[in-house]
Amino acid sequence: MKNKLQIGTNEMFNAPLLFYIICASQVGVGVHGFQAVIYQNAKHDAWISIIISFLAAYLSVFMSLKLLKMYETEDIFGVNLDLFGKYIGNFINLLLVIYSSLAFFAIIRNYTDVINAWVFPELKPSFIMITLMILVLYAFTAGLRTIIGICFFSFFLGLWIPVALIIPLNYANVNYLLPVFSADLVELLKGAYYMTFTVAGFEVIHTLYPFIKEKEKAKKYVSLGLFFTMFLYLFVMIVTLTFFSGEQLERTIWATLSLFSNIRLPFLERIELITVCFWMIVILPNLCLYAWSAFRGMKRIANISEMKFILGMFSLIFIGSFFIETRSEIYEFNNKFGYTAFIIVLIYPMVLYLIAYIKKSVSRQRAGKE
Amino acid sequence: MFFGKKKNESRKKQTETLPPSSQNKETPVQANDQMKKNETISETTEIFIQDVKERVLSPADFVVRHVTEKISITFVDNLIKEDILNLKLLPALQNIENESPETIISQLPLPQINKTDKMTDCVDTMLTGAVVIHVEGHSCAILVIIPARESRGLTPPENESQVIGSQVGFNESLSTNISLVRRYIANPNLGNEKFKVGKQTNTALSVMYIKGIVAEQNVNTIRQRIEALDIQDIIDSAELSELIDDNKLSFFPQMLITERPDRFCDGLLSGKVGILVDGSSMAILCPYSFFEFFQSREDKNLRWPIATFLRLLRFVAILISIFLTPLYVGALTFHYEVIPQSLLVPLSESRARVPFPPILEALFLELIMELLREAGARLPTKIGQTIGIVGGIVLGTAAVQAGITSNILIIIVALCALSSFITPSYMMGNVIRIVRFPIIIMAGFWGFYGIMLAFCILLIHLLRLTSLGAPYMSPFYPPRIRSWGDSIIRFPYRFTVRKSATTRVDGAEFSSNQDGQKNDRNVEE
Repeated sequence: MKNKLQIGTNEMFNAPLLFYIICASQVGVGVHGFQAVIYQNAKHDAWISIIISFLAAYLSVFMSLKLLKMYETEDIFGVNLDLFGKYIGNFINLLLVIYSSLAFFAIIRNYTDVINAWVFPELKPSFIMITLMILVLYAFTAGLRTIIGICFFSFFLGLWIPVALIIPLNYANVNYLLPVFSADLVELLKGAYYMTFTVAGFEVIHTLYPFIKEKEKAKKYVSLGLFFTMFLYLFVMIVTLTFFSGEQLERTIWATLSLFSNIRLPFLERIELITVCFWMIVILPNLCLYAWSAFRGMKRIANISEMKFILGMFSLIFIGSFFIETRSEIYEFNNKFGYTAFIIVLIYPMVLYLIAYIKKSVSRQRAGKE
Repeated sequence: MFFGKKKNESRKKQTETLPPSSQNKETPVQANDQMKKNETISETTEIFIQDVKERVLSPADFVVRHVTEKISITFVDNLIKEDILNLKLLPALQNIENESPETIISQLPLPQINKTDKMTDCVDTMLTGAVVIHVEGHSCAILVIIPARESRGLTPPENESQVIGSQVGFNESLSTNISLVRRYIANPNLGNEKFKVGKQTNTALSVMYIKGIVAEQNVNTIRQRIEALDIQDIIDSAELSELIDDNKLSFFPQMLITERPDRFCDGLLSGKVGILVDGSSMAILCPYSFFEFFQSREDKNLRWPIATFLRLLRFVAILISIFLTPLYVGALTFHYEVIPQSLLVPLSESRARVPFPPILEALFLELIMELLREAGARLPTKIGQTIGIVGGIVLGTAAVQAGITSNILIIIVALCALSSFITPSYMMGNVIRIVRFPIIIMAGFWGFYGIMLAFCILLIHLLRLTSLGAPYMSPFYPPRIRSWGDSIIRFPYRFTVRKSATTRVDGAEFSSNQDGQKNDRNVEE
């Protein structure tokens, strides 16, 4: 391991904060309308698909934590360099950086779409993107501490949202959930596969790991975070399944937002307008974390300054947004991105762990022979 | 880093300015002579007095008196206590037998006597209130420090009044203020370091802290920042606090300015560093976190459920104060769907005659509110009340009847103004009020999206800020759960940590120290 990371203790953060990071990074634009796609595959057993996808996510996190523990003070970019050498390693790192940028793009593009569809049809998407990018820039230049602070506040400020979703439960029809296990395994797995876009986000742990102060506690808090989001998604899914009938749900793009539009308070109506705007603080940590981890990766490949990188990335994303404009294009992009995420987030860490394990045991055998 | 640079620059300046004077070859000897003349004290009384006169530009209140053949005294008339001079000093000097400086010092019946052989020292001390005694034939001066400390009496703090609790405020005299603090904290560990700041004013500062509770690095930082100050003058502590802030471009105050000795001492006891400035009735406390600005000293005098209620009330008040008018503007400009029909009808009725868009209407009313406040603050108290009535009642009613604003907006704006005055710190209250204006404008342009944008910018900004290196959003971020009991709520003392989260330093020695602190508190109960 030639290029070891040098991280001062003042840059590190306490392990309990991982809980908020994981929650904030997972919950994002996906929540607005993840139900319909899964329903198409798993029907009213969609909630089982969620559990399956989280089991897969947990397995992936488990593997990647084991992998990173082998290297102790390295992030995934360093692991790649160590396992595959300079050239292939850097190539894979570049792919990971591109993945992070694509994730950034997916979030920001979906959010602008939701804003346009629900709140301001006439507001230019480019304007929304620029304002969001300015926000991210402001947070990003302040460093990791501030970004984690945003995760923390995003978590607590967003807690009212699941509470508000209790109100639609008044109209719930539990019979919609029955009979359980009517979908076969393939359908359930397919549904779980389509959850990837919504579940993705916890992969920031690959980059964050060397910054954790008490590394032995990391697993505990990451799993807690995963469980929290799983229960959150399960709750939203069950509310949706019991609220909408099957046909209705298939035709609803943003089921969660439609749920909100049924909430009426004596002084407020159409809460989904507020929710959509409020979602800015929910996606802000995602955007910051992806920008940050893309930068961490890029720093390994080329010695580049923060500002140059982030401005370059933003301008590329901004230009890219002109190629994906309509709703159907965004939908297609989401599907492709979900596929990429499936490979990079769920499959890749496991493969990497296997390679690292084999390499380690081989070198140990050699050392034993000598 | 920043201060280090500044220091270097000032040093450079000195070295740069020195060479030209030495290169000035016309009168090098004379210049040297003058330097020598200025530094040492002459043996002959006449030359000595001449030197002093030159230095202080012989003002009208400069007094010289020859007590005996050898002993003569000089002082500035208005700066010393005359009765001590007349009743103690002069008789003692007249009765002295052996006229050498040593015997004079030993025989004078006064406590604070210094001896110096430097001219600068002599003149500076004289200007803070000392009698200079010169003995013919000795190249030194005796300084008898008897300053007349004119100050007003102790009055209740007017800007930070509270119902229950002590009713005494700081005044403009540094020594009185220090004595007030020492009366609260009779502790040998109470540190008090003196500094002089300002090339023109030579203002005295006192940096106070309690050793063992304060984080030593905070005191060091304050010391460094004060020593690195390169300024001409300072009149009030508020200026100083801005000069030694962490982030000078921010809206938000990062140090508390208070005129309450009990609040000051409370801060010292929770590990903060305090600064008192001579001539200012305001003291500085730092580091201070955002949430601590919304705590009043009175909270600790009330029972904990009531204190918790009041703190939550204040917190809700900030939110109302910042976001209510923008929400009105945003909802009425873009999102009237959000308002239920039963509420929308009276709203639109009251707005039916108003010709302006909501953003102009709101800005107009907020501006009136600010004008009233500012006029009330500048006018004498008696007229100020009249202005309140004229502004509040007459202008408001007239504006509605003339159809310039809606009734409901007047209620909202009044509510916002009321809420902003709830903040226990005047400095923070100002910020809360001013921050509203950009948010109103953003709400007028982009509705709820604009409000959310402003909220996010505000949140990131607060997260970026530090006060003396401590995070501004503590104890919430970074989370110090043990300190949450004394944040926007107040638990019973048994469950709270005395030490403020901002002053905590990660490390074993401090955590053990803190435990000791907690136990002390319990014992007291």
